[in-house]
Amino acid sequence: MEQLAVMAEAKVDDRVIKACQQGDREAFRLLFEAYKDRVFSIAVYSLGGDRAAASDVTQQIFLKLLTTIGQFRGDSQFTSWLHRLTVNCCIDEQRKRRRLLAFEEMPIDKTRHREPHERRYERMEIAGVVKLAVSELKPKFRLPVLLKHVEGLSYEEIAEVLGCSKGTVASRLNRGHKQLARRLAHLRAQLVLGD
Amino acid sequence: MFSKHVGKELSAYCQGELSAEESRRIAEHLIGCHRCRSEFEEIKLGVKFAEHLPLIAAPDALWDDLQVLIEKQGSHAKPANEMRPTRKSGNWRLGFAVVAATLVLTFGVVAFWLYRRESLPSWEVARLDGTPRIGSAGIKEKSRLAVGQWLETDEVSRAKINVGSIGHVEVDPNTRVRLLETKITEHRLELVRGRLSARIWAPPRLFFVDTPSAVAADLGCAYTLEVDDAGASLLHVTSGWVALQLKDRESMVPAGAACATRPGVGPGTPYFEDSSETFRKALAKLDFEPQNTEWSKIPSLDLVLAESRPRDTLTLWHLLSRVQSTDRGRVYDRMAELAPPPAGVTREGILNLDETMMMLWKENLENIWSSDSKLRKTWIGFWTRSLGKVKGLEGKK
Repeated sequence: MEQLAVMAEAKVDDRVIKACQQGDREAFRLLFEAYKDRVFSIAVYSLGGDRAAASDVTQQIFLKLLTTIGQFRGDSQFTSWLHRLTVNCCIDEQRKRRRLLAFEEMPIDKTRHREPHERRYERMEIAGVVKLAVSELKPKFRLPVLLKHVEGLSYEEIAEVLGCSKGTVASRLNRGHKQLARRLAHLRAQLVLGD
Repeated sequence: MFSKHVGKELSAYCQGELSAEESRRIAEHLIGCHRCRSEFEEIKLGVKFAEHLPLIAAPDALWDDLQVLIEKQGSHAKPANEMRPTRKSGNWRLGFAVVAATLVLTFGVVAFWLYRRESLPSWEVARLDGTPRIGSAGIKEKSRLAVGQWLETDEVSRAKINVGSIGHVEVDPNTRVRLLETKITEHRLELVRGRLSARIWAPPRLFFVDTPSAVAADLGCAYTLEVDDAGASLLHVTSGWVALQLKDRESMVPAGAACATRPGVGPGTPYFEDSSETFRKALAKLDFEPQNTEWSKIPSLDLVLAESRPRDTLTLWHLLSRVQSTDRGRVYDRMAELAPPPAGVTREGILNLDETMMMLWKENLENIWSSDSKLRKTWIGFWTRSLGKVKGLEGKK
């Protein structure tokens, strides 16, 4: 499936984007197939693993893409533009959820977070543990980590998406990587053996 | 000679985001700075964890749900130039386009698959003697070893692997070795049987060899590593340093020293090869046969301590954290007799395995253990000059 997505992505060129801008639904479908997994992944990680909420956000992102693609002038890479849209929608959703949590779930959440990291992580597979650890990073560290490791963007592209300097990206990734290493240090041997 | 700390640039360095010139500067600093090297190890670990982040497939129903949403939104969802159905008069064009797109997609998938197959990272392998094999194919003169492939030699064949531009590995007869990984942050081989000799001139901890009982991490060096049929291995270091590691157990082995490993135990304690036979035998018993009742009548630790020379503080330093706490004082006293600890290192601190004091004493002792400080400098200079040619560091982006 991933390979098909890569192929679809390879086929998304200026002509496809132009066709989307002219209302060609087949072209839009091609665009959707090419980027749906990437957008959905960022949404899942940003929303603490809530797949249902991530599905809703992914739909909203593509709906927004459909209505605003006419504004895309090609001044930057289309992928940067889409990533920026994705990141902004995820941040908005996080804000909404934080406001709701403030009234509803905060006490329960606090209790959950008091449990030591190691105890919560110890019975999970590496990928699952990493997912959880990443979802618990602060957004300013989490987003660069996701854009780097899930989207495969360069530091320069991440800077463009997040609207900050390359130096800021480097510094946030430094801190993000360090926090991951510290939270998951007890799994080092498992990682080495797994490798 | 000492340059500014490079902590802020380590993720970018680790992920190949810096220019060759910047990478060279960072690598040069890392070789000489313990603090930044520790930080680099931490960041590298974080990067490795993050590399396990999977891409999550979107639900299959997402497109249908989106369609419904688009219909619901009606005119609100229409793009500036309005979403419109394809014109009826263009139906034959649409059919043609679909067929053409299918053909292009099929061709693209095949081409992509072939491209991926061809572009798998690989190392050049040259035949030295006999007919070494990669998989089932014999090597006539030269071939390439791709990630995941096995290189095997019989009793008369030998081969040489070029590890990118960072070094080479000679594979002796009756050896089976596999390429596990080759990327900018890591080059990794697996040695399941036989013997290899490696000469590496990369920054520390870029080149690894996995064996059934430990991982050998290169710290800028030359060494031979052999593995027997039971999975036990023996490392001889001829220049620089090698770290042998299994889980939390690590042995640092300098030039002139050796270290054995055993499945289920990991690396033993390193020792200099010119130490006495009694010393080496007693150490082997201490490392791998602590429960041997016959041997336990003989105080092996006493023998090791009695036979130690100043140079053997290499072994004693490692033993500090491995012996029972009741024996640690005896090891400390013998070490202090052979090579007094530097200022800032106390008996109490060492008995409590204070990390800073342990490192301080180790750094002080390295002058006794390693006579290659000039060689090391030469190596750093050579590495610095040749780094620009290291393929892994060029064109990563």
